[in-house]
Amino acid sequence: MSRLLVNRFPRPDFESGYLYPEYSYAVPNEMLWDIIDVTVLLILLGIVTWAAFRKRMRMPILAVSVVSVGYFGFFRGGCVCSIGSIQNVALAFVDPSYSLSLAVFLFFIIPIVFAFLFGRVFCAGVCPFGALQDLVNVKNFRISRPVAGALSVIPWIYLAFTLIYAMTRTRFLICKFDPFIGIFRLGGDIGVIGFGIVLLLMSIFTGRPFCRFLCPYGAILDLVSRASIFKVRITPKRCICCDLCHDSCPVDAIKAPYGNKTGETPAEGVRRVVAYMVALPLLMVACALMMRWIAPDLARANSEVRLHEMVTAYEAGPQDTMEPEVEAFYSQGRNLAELETSRNLVVSKFRFYSTLAGILIGLVIGLKLLEMSLKRGRKEYEIDYGRCVACAKCFDYCPQK
Amino acid sequence: MSDNGNPIKRREFFRRLGKVLAGGGIVAVGARSAANVKSEGKADLYWQIDHEKCIQCGRCQTSCVMPVSAVRCMHANKVCGYCDLCGGYYRTNAKELNTAAENMLCPTGAIARKFVEEPYFEYTIDEALCNGCGKCVKGCSSFGNGSLFLQIRQELCLGCNECSIAKVCPSGAIHRVSYEDAYKFKDQA
Repeated sequence: MSRLLVNRFPRPDFESGYLYPEYSYAVPNEMLWDIIDVTVLLILLGIVTWAAFRKRMRMPILAVSVVSVGYFGFFRGGCVCSIGSIQNVALAFVDPSYSLSLAVFLFFIIPIVFAFLFGRVFCAGVCPFGALQDLVNVKNFRISRPVAGALSVIPWIYLAFTLIYAMTRTRFLICKFDPFIGIFRLGGDIGVIGFGIVLLLMSIFTGRPFCRFLCPYGAILDLVSRASIFKVRITPKRCICCDLCHDSCPVDAIKAPYGNKTGETPAEGVRRVVAYMVALPLLMVACALMMRWIAPDLARANSEVRLHEMVTAYEAGPQDTMEPEVEAFYSQGRNLAELETSRNLVVSKFRFYSTLAGILIGLVIGLKLLEMSLKRGRKEYEIDYGRCVACAKCFDYCPQK
Repeated sequence: MSDNGNPIKRREFFRRLGKVLAGGGIVAVGARSAANVKSEGKADLYWQIDHEKCIQCGRCQTSCVMPVSAVRCMHANKVCGYCDLCGGYYRTNAKELNTAAENMLCPTGAIARKFVEEPYFEYTIDEALCNGCGKCVKGCSSFGNGSLFLQIRQELCLGCNECSIAKVCPSGAIHRVSYEDAYKFKDQA
């Protein structure tokens, strides 16, 4: 018998033959929906791969984008998505008591496996977020290389913070700050929806700002697709350096021919790279220390830590009105000493994961600097496979069909 | 980074190394995560309120992402005392025990009262009108048997990856449960 069930009044003895009403609450068939979702994901990924590699056509990818926005976005409400699944997978990694469902795991791993085989075909149009931004994109104003380089660190920082908050079971940041889910569901937090609308307005003039400068899943796919086995090509024939593809790319993934005229001798080049290599661990240590330092403040987002603050404040000077949190704390028969222990556990977890996240952030910033400083001559237009989302827009522009 | 080697060979070596690292990483993460996957019936997927913890603060009425919250009041008739003076139906300062609006506790008039036999009354929740504010639940738990309770209706719940009412719940009463006990009822306790 539950604690709140107080039998103040005995169960009545009905004499008129009264029967208790029967209820039946059916659980919707989530398992069926999971199977449909994964099947649709696989079919759409297959279509994009086929269109980008075999047919070299944009039309099927456009169709996939519309289907994805309609089905995964508006119809299924955008949950669970591959981007958010990072958090479930990460939490299950460190906390075996958290149950990871098969569908969430598949949504996490399938696009990554496809990225390893074929590049970012998931981003092309299967992801409803990418598809939505691509559908409204009209013109591509190119963002200058240093600015784009600096902004492209943000997804990794976002990922690092997401992992801290997910692994400590505090919050799912990706879900909280998901800019498009409010648009898909036609409701939600007004600030986040406003942010989503701003992103959509921006993506009219420059391709996919969310994918390039925010999406943490895109960061993972970026890394994996650099090493992908099969790679899309702008033209199956020889490049004639006509520059037509360069402007068609929405994500600025096509690198123009470049003659290395810096006049740096090989020895100087090696020395410069060695200097960066020395600076890299220093940067990692600095970021790790900084993150460790702010960890207790980050931990304040955790409900246990917040509750501890509230209860300590209440015990220091009891007010007439009790916060519901404090009321629940006392009604559950908990005490301050036990709360203190669990709060300290949370803070120490935060310190640990923040340090690791700091190392990751330092590594990413260092490698980005290194990448941007490497100058390698190119004779043809080449694809940057980390950025390329296989949207197939450049195929139509290329005269070498 | 030796300058003696052919740069093309070096580039090819890094390319292969990248492929091996990426492939190995995917297999390692995939295998480790696959080991964490729980079978469909066992995995906790369904958001439910633990009514032993619920303190009827009323936040789940307003914090759900749905325009009208997926939380509804439910009634465990087998626990109900069928009282005439119902703490969940009447306001505490009700002058007369009739159906006049000023005596009702429910702001949307979602509780129907039906005479069964002397002195018992049956109370039923009209879930189309209920908005999950929990006022009646508070009244029933304070003055009655506690047979009214708040619960998340599965057919209304979107099943967000992170439930927004679970995050604001002051008592941490909202968790995911498995398919096997997808509804937490009071009279089944």
